[in-house]
Amino acid sequence: MHPANSPLASRRARPRRDGGRAGRSSGWYGMLLGAAALAAAPAASAYTVTLTPAAPLTVFLQVGVGTFTKNYISNGNPGNNNTVNQVSTTVPSTAVGNGAAQAMTTDSTQAQSFYDSFTFCTVPSQLYIGGFYRTAGGSTAAARVTATVPAALVNASGATIPFSKIQWTSSGIGDSGTEPFPAGTFVAGGVQTVGTMASNSWNESCWNFSYVNDIVPASGTFTGRVTYTLSAP
Amino acid sequence: MSRSPTPFRARFFLVPALAIIWLSAAGAATKIIDDAGTTSLEPNVNLRWKSAAPAHGAEGMALTGRTTLRVHLNVQPWLHRRGRIFLSLPAQPPGPLTATWTTQGRLAAGQVQSGSRTLLYAGPITSGVIEDIVTFQFSVDGRLVRRPFAVNLRFEMDEE
Repeated sequence: MHPANSPLASRRARPRRDGGRAGRSSGWYGMLLGAAALAAAPAASAYTVTLTPAAPLTVFLQVGVGTFTKNYISNGNPGNNNTVNQVSTTVPSTAVGNGAAQAMTTDSTQAQSFYDSFTFCTVPSQLYIGGFYRTAGGSTAAARVTATVPAALVNASGATIPFSKIQWTSSGIGDSGTEPFPAGTFVAGGVQTVGTMASNSWNESCWNFSYVNDIVPASGTFTGRVTYTLSAP
Repeated sequence: MSRSPTPFRARFFLVPALAIIWLSAAGAATKIIDDAGTTSLEPNVNLRWKSAAPAHGAEGMALTGRTTLRVHLNVQPWLHRRGRIFLSLPAQPPGPLTATWTTQGRLAAGQVQSGSRTLLYAGPITSGVIEDIVTFQFSVDGRLVRRPFAVNLRFEMDEE
């Protein structure tokens, strides 16, 4: 954020009142010089106002469902949404640990992009992630989205599955080129970068999660929560 | 018959006389009005995003800020004459700037882009001072702004 460490007060530029008289030289030359000085140096002043960018940094990150009035291209306003969405799968007993990745689905209903209301993701197979950060002063370094990942998913009896057994691919309907939030695999017990945002632009992707399914854990329901954080420079 | 050249003394008077006439005509153009009595009712002009999201184009990137000035113009030099008063916003860093304003009626409301001026008043100057409360809203492309910057306003008189 740009520091607002300068005094904000408006100030007056002192009028410049030089000139106006050229002494008392007699004769036409004196009159001529006097007239020229009057024409060139009016009693001038200008009012000076100091403008300060007071809140130039704004961030918005949405993982799963979010809130936005209108949409981004219509100068909509982002809002807070405290929903924590879930991504899950149920592995059939006959398939446990067989190495066949198990697709996960989400309870998020966010298929449309708040950029323009375009249906960008396919639910429930994809989880929407998107947002923006804005800053004054033109292009700057990208903002970073990180995931804070527990070491493992845990069941009621304390058995675990490492979070590194969950991975995702990235795409979006109609998308081409590099995704701002690319494919990856969770780093168990760490904080990892999962994407970046260029300043003053909308960034979004759709994630397809899957469970790697190459181990045989105890039976049960395993849960864990990953927290996503947007950090702007 | 041969004409003798104009005596030196005659030319001496002729040149200053012409020069004074020319300067007088030039002096009837734009003059900057003494606004030394103008004060700001709000000392701080904070710029904020016009819209929360950085949508397409300059509109979505606009920073805006508002301030109110008690404008005090010393127009004594033009008393009992007719004149036109303009608000001039010279081109200045950090780049293109727009000012829009409302008034309490003595001066006209309007809008000006940096590098131009807009008419505030036209008519007879019937008192030595013109005063009004003017609320300005400034708008600038946020991509141009990194730090606080000064904006100069000038009140100009075109004599009629």
